[in-house]
Amino acid sequence: MHPFDIKTVLFAKHAQHVVLIHFPIALFIIGVLFDFLAQWRKQPQPLLAAAAYYNLLVAAIATVPVVATGILAWQWELEGQKLKGILLVHLVMGCASSVLICVVWFIHRRSRRNQEEVLLPGYCLPVEAVAVVIVALTGHLGGFLSGVNGPG
Amino acid sequence: MRRSVFITGLAAALVLGMGVFGTGRKGSVTSAQEKTSTMEVKIDNFSFGPVTLTVPVGTTVTWTNRDDIPHTVVSTDDPKTFKSKVLDTDEKFSFTLSKAGTYPYFCSIHPKMTGKVIVQ
Repeated sequence: MHPFDIKTVLFAKHAQHVVLIHFPIALFIIGVLFDFLAQWRKQPQPLLAAAAYYNLLVAAIATVPVVATGILAWQWELEGQKLKGILLVHLVMGCASSVLICVVWFIHRRSRRNQEEVLLPGYCLPVEAVAVVIVALTGHLGGFLSGVNGPG
Repeated sequence: MRRSVFITGLAAALVLGMGVFGTGRKGSVTSAQEKTSTMEVKIDNFSFGPVTLTVPVGTTVTWTNRDDIPHTVVSTDDPKTFKSKVLDTDEKFSFTLSKAGTYPYFCSIHPKMTGKVIVQ
């Protein structure tokens, strides 16, 4: 297979999910890091807060094709058969991760709309921390399933 | 004299009969083994082993997942000659190949995992 064979890349029935998944993971974790830095300092950090917001926004948008390609991979490659074991846990945790990423972004969006100065609710950082853990575990299971540690 | 000849004849007939019966049974067992012969392909460490398996027509091939993660066994032809469900650790999938030919297959979760069964 040629690495730049566009047809193979586009029509590989489950390759897209494995590629696209890296975007929301990276954007979300960096967004949370920026948010933590923005809130941790006593002085307002509008640039860091804005960077966090836009990272979370793009992460939330990126979850849509990721979930779609994941479900398509399930339907095409496994013909929608009943999942169990690691595959089922990965599916459930993946959906939970997507919802949490969108919830975190929504909390930020609501805070930005309501006030001139962005003041996030106290529960935001704990929610973000939980979301990072769930996202990391889901990614770990995905890597395990895709065989990144295998010989291929 | 007549009696002893009769008893000897009867004994000979019995021995001969048992011999023929035994030979017949042995023959039938062999042919049954040939009909239901099975070969195993082990799935481990993201690979099928053996990668290429050559079997006679009518052989049942059993794939066993010895890996820690799920795999499938799907023939590459269209329509699919055989296609397993997702096999978790220690689960098996069997298929009897009744036609001669070459049957390449792969794991649909990990398409780099490929194998081949040659039926002669």
